[in-house]
Amino acid sequence: MTASAAKVARQHRTRHWLRRGLFVAYGFLGYAFFYLPIVILVIFSFNDSRSVSKWSGFTLRWYEAMLQDHQIMVALWNSVFVAVVSTLIATVLGTLAALALERYRRFPARLFADITLYLPIIIPDIAMAIMLLAFFKLSGIGFQTWKVSIAGLRLAVPYSVIIGHVAFNISFVAVVVRARLAQMDRTLDEAAQDLYATPWRTFWRVTLPLMMPGVLGGALLAFTLSLDDFVITFFTSGAGFNTLPVRVFGMIRKGVTPKINAVSSLMLGFSLLLVTLALLAARGNEDRKIQMF
Amino acid sequence: MSDASVPAVELRDVVKRFDDVVAVDHVSLQIAPGEFFALLGPSGSGKTTTLRMIGGFELPTEGEVLIEGEPQGYKPPYQRPVNTVFQNYALFPHMTVAQNIAFGLEMRGVPKDEIRRRVGEMLNLVRLSGYEKRRPHQLSGGEQQRVALARALINQPKVLLLDEPLGALDLKLRKAMQLELKAIQEQVGITFVYVTHDQEEAITMADRIAVMNHGRVLQVGPPPEVYEQPRTLFVADFIGETNFIPVEVLRVGSTVEVLTAGGARLQAGWAEPSLNAGAPAVAAVRPERMWLHRPNTAPEGGPWNRVEGIVRHVIYHGLDIRYEIHLAGECSLHVRLPVGRGDADVFQRGEHVIVVWPSEATRVFRRDS
Repeated sequence: MTASAAKVARQHRTRHWLRRGLFVAYGFLGYAFFYLPIVILVIFSFNDSRSVSKWSGFTLRWYEAMLQDHQIMVALWNSVFVAVVSTLIATVLGTLAALALERYRRFPARLFADITLYLPIIIPDIAMAIMLLAFFKLSGIGFQTWKVSIAGLRLAVPYSVIIGHVAFNISFVAVVVRARLAQMDRTLDEAAQDLYATPWRTFWRVTLPLMMPGVLGGALLAFTLSLDDFVITFFTSGAGFNTLPVRVFGMIRKGVTPKINAVSSLMLGFSLLLVTLALLAARGNEDRKIQMF
Repeated sequence: MSDASVPAVELRDVVKRFDDVVAVDHVSLQIAPGEFFALLGPSGSGKTTTLRMIGGFELPTEGEVLIEGEPQGYKPPYQRPVNTVFQNYALFPHMTVAQNIAFGLEMRGVPKDEIRRRVGEMLNLVRLSGYEKRRPHQLSGGEQQRVALARALINQPKVLLLDEPLGALDLKLRKAMQLELKAIQEQVGITFVYVTHDQEEAITMADRIAVMNHGRVLQVGPPPEVYEQPRTLFVADFIGETNFIPVEVLRVGSTVEVLTAGGARLQAGWAEPSLNAGAPAVAAVRPERMWLHRPNTAPEGGPWNRVEGIVRHVIYHGLDIRYEIHLAGECSLHVRLPVGRGDADVFQRGEHVIVVWPSEATRVFRRDS
């Protein structure tokens, strides 16, 4: 009897380790599938060879080449400019939309506003891009440009691209801010009003400071999405305007060079940084110790 | 402080409807300056809605709210001379204790020096000196409660509204805070309107109690009056412990007489005015007004009610012994007798006893009320 009990125990142990081993192996496979291409991309951006498949030593020359490429630098600053402007506008509008939907439960067409706000998240980029293109054509807004010079470069940014980015970013900001608002205690607003604060002062002293982690998180998300966007930018920019992703697409048609790897690695690093910041800002939700002022 | 003949708070025939639901149903109240007034009732009785209408967080559908004789109309909360202690305290998590307490004065543009001085005084009053720099999440429930109180009182409101302020505290702390709140109220002399569902809390603290149910005020009076002379079955049942005996009314008028299902005739001190002879009713008696006797020692005649019964349970409680007495006709009574009056007065389970109580301690109510 004890012998058979020991046997059963051994079987259980074997199964336990088998299950565990399979689980770990599966996890590694999953990560490899997602991240191996990225790792290879980053590694080969430091490859001292024109070939993308053969390693021949470490170099930073592709990054140097990138910095000296006028078109890439223009595209980089175009990206940053579009991202900054569209994020600012989308953050203000998205936050207001979130407040309206979360705090003022009763207004005409509330459900309609609620659904349409989420549409840009759901519909495919390509559909949205074509819609925007048609809109700019039909409305006569066209592809007029905003001329600015940054870092010694003269940029001409179409308003249509900025409007397009604002259009999809409002939704993402609104979603993030709403999530924050939903977990905020509404009696705090009542308490402020009970203590002689007008609705205006209540907003600046109580509501806004408490929803700030959500607003920051939403803004960072919007910034990242704007930087990475290709489809909507491509369709709404008219001819001759490049953001970084659009420029990379143009380069890749002439063949993959390690310079593209360098640009992509740069974008990747920047996006990762922003996403990390967004997560940290959202984490502020739980950590009440965060000091707003 | 102000004219004593003008009520600090007055509600005139106030109604509040949310869509089809009537939350507050024709409530009229007058609360005197300096009074500790409790709104007592079960959840959903409309007591919190009533409080929120005084504070301006809800507007009455009908009727009027007056503060110191002045109709409040559509005034928003920040224009009313009242402050509130919220149920969950609603302390601002992004501000320190001192910033929380200073908030009201700051909004009214009081000079910084004066704010600092008065915050210090308030922290002293609620015994939290030295806590200025802490944040709400670093405080215990009782400390948060005291910050909420200080934050409201520093504004020297005409009326302080308290919405179940002790509801989130454990029993022992709640008892201590009851005494502390009462002492602070007497010290500052501000009118308190206190919402609670805890009848013991209302009785201990309030000068007067309004008992609410289904949006209506059923009875208003000082605690002893509400406790000893309930005017509806609900009030008798909700406040304290009561024995209910199903009866039939024999006679109403200057003397009230009823008949129990077991065939005993009882005299009552009071009957609900709408009762007529022959109506089914309920006789109510507080357990502590009853005494037990052995059949041979029971008093004869006099202003006493007597029913026979059998001791079913004896429960020792320290201060008193509680007996459950089974009567004829499917009814039982709870009787509380103080401990320590000699062995002869301890009754045994199964013993045949006579329950005796003064007839004036009997109140007769309609069954449906």
